Parts: sequence; C-alpha cells; structure tokens
Amino acid sequence: MNQPLNPETILVTEPDTKQAETQLWLASKERSNMSLLRIMSWISLKMGRSVGRLFLHPISAYFLLFSAANRQASCEYLNRALARRATFLDLYRHFFWFASTIHDRIYLINKRFDLFDIEIVGKEAIRQQLAEGNGLFLMGAHMGSFEVIRAIGRQIPDLRVAMTMHEENAQKINAMLAAINPEAGQDIIGLGHIDSMLKVRERLDDGTVVGMLADRTLGEEIMTPINLLGDVALFPNGPFRMAALLRRPVMFMAGVYLGGNRYQIHFQPLADFSDIPTGQRAIAIQNAITTYASLIEQHCRKTPYNWFNFFDFWRPAQTNNTQ
Amino acid sequence: MQETNLVSPLSNASLQLEIAELMVQSLNLEVAPEEILSDSPLYGDGLGLDSIDILEVALVVSKRYGLQLKADNEDNHKIFSSLGSLTEYVAKQRTR
Repeated sequence: MNQPLNPETILVTEPDTKQAETQLWLASKERSNMSLLRIMSWISLKMGRSVGRLFLHPISAYFLLFSAANRQASCEYLNRALARRATFLDLYRHFFWFASTIHDRIYLINKRFDLFDIEIVGKEAIRQQLAEGNGLFLMGAHMGSFEVIRAIGRQIPDLRVAMTMHEENAQKINAMLAAINPEAGQDIIGLGHIDSMLKVRERLDDGTVVGMLADRTLGEEIMTPINLLGDVALFPNGPFRMAALLRRPVMFMAGVYLGGNRYQIHFQPLADFSDIPTGQRAIAIQNAITTYASLIEQHCRKTPYNWFNFFDFWRPAQTNNTQ
Repeated sequence: MQETNLVSPLSNASLQLEIAELMVQSLNLEVAPEEILSDSPLYGDGLGLDSIDILEVALVVSKRYGLQLKADNEDNHKIFSSLGSLTEYVAKQRTR
C-alpha cells in the first residue's frame, strides 16, 4: 500500500474464485501427495529410480485424464509457449515432466546426486555475488525443480539457500522433508509474520542466499500487469519490494528438467538494489519485475514442459482489465 | 511493566507522533500522522500494512532510534500490533 498507485499497478482485493478452486485442488492434492509420496519414496529408494519412474506413467495419465481444469490450463499454456496447437503428446509430456521432478525430489533430498547429470549455467555470475558476502536473493518460479538447486552445494560450496514460502506451505514442506530425510528441513522461512521479514534480513546478513518463488501471490498484495507469452499476466510486487528494501542484488534461478536424468540450473543477473535511492525504488521494482517476466518467458520458450502453474495464469489480469 | 511507568505520558505522545511521521513518510501513506491512533492495528485491518511494510517500519525505526529488532524476540507480534505498543517499546529501548 506504500506504492504510488500509477495506472500500471492494480491492487487485487478479491481473490479470484477460479484461483481459489485451484488452490483447493492443490491443497487436496498436496494431502494425497503426502501418503503417495511416502509409498513412492519407499519404492523408489528400495528399487531404484528406473523402477520408480515406471509408476510415473500411470500417475501422469491419471491426472491428465481426470483433472480437466489442469489439462485445460496446461493446454492453454502450451499453445502459447510452443506457438502452435499443443498435441496430446505435448500435454502428456507436460504432466510427466511435473511428475518426474516431484519424483526426483526423493533422490535429491537424500543427496543421491550421483544419479543425475546436472549442468550449471551462470556459475561464475553467482560465484562473484557470493564472494561479496552480503547475501542475495534468488528469484525462481514454479518452473522445473528448485530441489535440484540444493544439489549444487557440491559445486558451489558457499551456497546456502534458505527458501521462503507461505507459512502453511512451509509447514507442509518441512513435514515432507522430515519424512524423507530428517536432516533436510532446516532452511525454510515461513512468510506472513512480522518475524519472517526480520528472519530474512538476519539470514542475508549472515551471507545466506534467500530463495523465493516470485510468480504467485500470497494473497492481497499489489500486482503488476506484464506481458508474458503474448498476453498480460499479473505478477506480485512483494518479493521485489523486499529485495529493494533490504538493498540486495537479485538473481534469477531455474532448475529445468531436460528429460532422462538431466537437469540444467540457470543463474542469471536480474536486478541490483544495493545502491538504489529511496525515491527511485518504485521504478526499480517495476523494471525488475519486467526483467523477471522476460526471463520466465525465455525459459518457457526453451524448455516449455517445465512450467508448473497448472491454472490459468493469465485470467486474473483479463478479469481486472474488463472491470 | 514497571519500566513503562518511568516514561512520562507527555514525552510518549510526542515520540508517538514522531514515529507516526516516520511511518507516513517511509511508506507514502495517505493519512496524516495525527490520524494514526495509538491503538489502531498496524497489520492487516486498520492501517492495512503488510509484512513488508512492517519490515520497512522496523528498519526505519531501528535506524532512527538506534535499537535492535531481532527475529527471535517473542514480543515482536505485540510490539508491532499498534502504534502505541511500538512507541512504548521504542521509549524503553532507544539509545538515541
């Protein structure tokens, strides 16, 4: 509410019902995921990744056939990203990619990095930022796997990433991590408290990297409409406001799945709020969100099956514009 | 609680206005500092600040009055619940 309300900025006050439904679906899916995950985790660790992957086909097919809303969202997204009509095979791949990255979490959380072929693009850029020692933000999206980014500790030893997320999700993820590997749940910061922001600041002061997924809103906050894959979508201002306030550099991160056992991690410079005067903060935030959206678009074009927002990402913007 | 009594209500009132001015200025709020009531909630309903706004207030206030706001302080929720409680905390902990 501190942003000067320019015409470019829309305040979303009422949660979109469609989005609420999606979240309900995600929540129920998350619940069944927990027991499914325990069973899958056991099978996968006992019998190996290739046996575990056999189960991913019926799981992907099930969701593709019986979850119409997600299938439609996937189809609309793929039409945009592929710039042609998506085929059934495209849809199947999209769902299979999602299932694969969730499945691979089991191995990544258990530090079975030996199973994967992980390439890092932009290693030098992030190494330079880490060398400054002032901490930085890594902004990702619901794209590919952020678990794979934990894997790179091997190659970039000073990289400690604390992920921020909504408190409820944080608890769920912590429970999930604890179920798979008790040592793994230490570095999640829950958002939505007064304390959480102070925690973020303390971690940055230690030189820790703070990771966020900046493509979905946490609720009532200022959104910025930006063109993504041909139409306007709404992006939350919050993550970038936080980075601006704490005067830190921001890099984009994505851990995209390339099929088989191959992942590719990208680090790309996004913005640097270290020396932005207070008066220029608002415009710097707008510029950063624009850059963020263009980086997302770039990856959607290059590795289209990695986009894991299975709801109509564009619809809230269209609803708002016609009001 | 004993300590709060040592701070005279009069100086607290001017400190409260000063903090309200800091808030309005740093957050570009569209209210006059005098309009922010001592007991109206800062977070959510009331002034309608979100957690990032609160962070901004915390940063500005700790810089201006030379005090530390720690993440592990259990009283944080109380401190930032209203302008009055924040003022009370600043009055007790300020080093300048």
